[in-house]
Amino acid sequence: MKADSEVPDGDSGIDTATADAGPVAATGVVLRTTVLLIGCLVLLLVALFASVMFGSRTTSFGDVVDVLTGHGDPYLTTVVESRYPRTALGVLAGASLAVAGTLMQGVTRNPLADPGLLGINAGAAAGIVTGTAFAGATGGWAALWWALPGALLAGGFVHILGGGGAGGGTVRLVLAGAVLSAVLGAYIQAVALSKPKVFDSYRYWVVGALGGRGWDVFWSVSPLAGLGLAAALLLGPGLNALALGDESATALGTNPAVLRASGLAAATVASAAATAAVGPIAFVGLGVPHIVRAMVGTDFRRQIAFSALLGPALLLLADVVGRVLLRPQELMVGVVTAFVGAPALLIAVRRMRVAT
Amino acid sequence: MSTVEVEPEGGAGTSVRVRRPRGYLRIGNLVALPVRGVTVLAAIVVLVLTVAAAVATLTLGRLGIAPGDLLPAILGGAEGKEKFVLNRLRGPRLVVCLGAGAAFGLSGALFQTATRNPLASPDVIGLASGAGAGAAIFALAMPGGAPVWLGALLGATGAMGVVHLATGTGFRDPGRLVVAGIGVAAIGTAITQYVVYVVERDKASALSAYVNGSVAARSWADAATIGLVLLVVAVPAVVLSRHLDLGEMGDEVARSLGGNPGRARTCGVVLAIVLSAGAVTVAGPVAFIALTAPQIARRSTRGSGPHLVLSTLVGMLLLTVADLAAQQLPYVEPLPVGIYTLAFGGAYLGFLLTREWRSGRL
Repeated sequence: MKADSEVPDGDSGIDTATADAGPVAATGVVLRTTVLLIGCLVLLLVALFASVMFGSRTTSFGDVVDVLTGHGDPYLTTVVESRYPRTALGVLAGASLAVAGTLMQGVTRNPLADPGLLGINAGAAAGIVTGTAFAGATGGWAALWWALPGALLAGGFVHILGGGGAGGGTVRLVLAGAVLSAVLGAYIQAVALSKPKVFDSYRYWVVGALGGRGWDVFWSVSPLAGLGLAAALLLGPGLNALALGDESATALGTNPAVLRASGLAAATVASAAATAAVGPIAFVGLGVPHIVRAMVGTDFRRQIAFSALLGPALLLLADVVGRVLLRPQELMVGVVTAFVGAPALLIAVRRMRVAT
Repeated sequence: MSTVEVEPEGGAGTSVRVRRPRGYLRIGNLVALPVRGVTVLAAIVVLVLTVAAAVATLTLGRLGIAPGDLLPAILGGAEGKEKFVLNRLRGPRLVVCLGAGAAFGLSGALFQTATRNPLASPDVIGLASGAGAGAAIFALAMPGGAPVWLGALLGATGAMGVVHLATGTGFRDPGRLVVAGIGVAAIGTAITQYVVYVVERDKASALSAYVNGSVAARSWADAATIGLVLLVVAVPAVVLSRHLDLGEMGDEVARSLGGNPGRARTCGVVLAIVLSAGAVTVAGPVAFIALTAPQIARRSTRGSGPHLVLSTLVGMLLLTVADLAAQQLPYVEPLPVGIYTLAFGGAYLGFLLTREWRSGRL
């Protein structure tokens, strides 16, 4: 993966420049970061605006401005306001998944790490299936309430089985995630295929979409997502120390095991919240951290902040594309991200150094 | 499997003694299959178990053929109900299980040896998701009587083609294979899930069952297909075995001994893909057989080398037993066989994980 070369030395150009040329180069870095920050903010604003503007009922730029300033006609106001929850969910899910991916890749030092590795997707799906089949959730979105505990339980189980944190055994963590995903997968398929109602709530969730959820879904998962994001921001400096290796991190006064465990816990909490609400969405957690590293280097404080801006922007834009492409039908955002992310990954493969 | 866990000949403390070379089954200069006592013993045990599972498949249940009538029925004396059960219901299904299981097992053994990744199988590089996507597209584009197996075959080949193009080095570099596989698998899964989302529930349910891997309602034509694939691949696989064995010592050593590790690896991966694609065509993307069969084979004999024959036999056994469970388990609705292999594979992986963990190797 390209990060093979980027993680160890991607920032070195900047660092040596700082060391050699002193304050001048440092100003350059600050300037560059500021420009990138403004760029990301503008992109996010554009994405937010596009997300409330595009949909199966066409609304013009002027209409949206009228509604936003409170002068819109009542019908158009309803149309535009109906797009608020999915936009908010897009921001929440994009930020959570991207930040969780950054944490995962930083903690496990695996450039292919992604929140799905922790068994979150399988756990959330198992929650939905269980809720609909055995606990009387009445199909549709009622089942969403079961996804969150499922995802959290699965994440916790993988941490315990994989011993995340103790001695940096991340191979064990990944294998534990694979084991849990397989066993839960069999359970999910077995139940879903024998009960049609369960199958419906499962298939509508598993494709990954922002639409069709109301504010209630957003408010029920946002405290947890906020918790994960806040923890990630606090962990930034510690993760920088961890990136220097366990011995240096200890010498710098941090505890690598605790850092690693809390990084993974924050990633679990944030991605569980996002996945429960919108379903498994591919490549946001995997791809955004790579883009961010290419932009701002390896400093985790910057990586996390930029992931939290770029993740929502890209996820919302993907959602808008999905709404426009097949109008008046829509393509779910999970499908769009797969079709954008996978080709990008396939192109990146060619730039990998040949291992043999 | 505990019956065959015998220490390899020599055992501990033989480092001073000069070992005589292992026995090889040689056919001219081209073929040299390692034959060890443990391996033969394990193969016999697995074969006996497979035959037992096959007999159980044909005899158990309401429609089963009475055990006493089984041999005459197979030899051509089947009449009426027995003929129907043997020729239409369970016979082809059993043969497809044996053939597809063998193909998955051999495929996994070739792939794991060629890529030197003990947890790999062609599914890792997106073959199963490609097959699922192909089947889904066919089901959506040609509603009513579309040959789903053709979609699966095209999907699997297409996915492998994309992986081949994307890596830029063909199938030579295992690292790139895995990453390209992630991308291809993601697209395949997205297509399948989209189709399952948009079509009506019954069709989505049927498609979902197929995508899990199912051998229900197979015909003799399917059995012939997988038999042909196995026949075509068997000879090159046996020839390749020695080259793959060389590769296990590392590329440097292999090269200095006159091998071409890069080419051997490419051939191994290609053969593995052909086998898996064939098996997927007749049985759907059944999970985990290709991954676990070589693991079980290798662990039961504790030897090195590709273990092609034993992996093939273990694959047959696993799929036959899984399908027996799918047909006969009480209190459970009939489920596709792939769900049973998924559960078994997950449990087996968990077992390996905890064992490695306890012994402090992970």
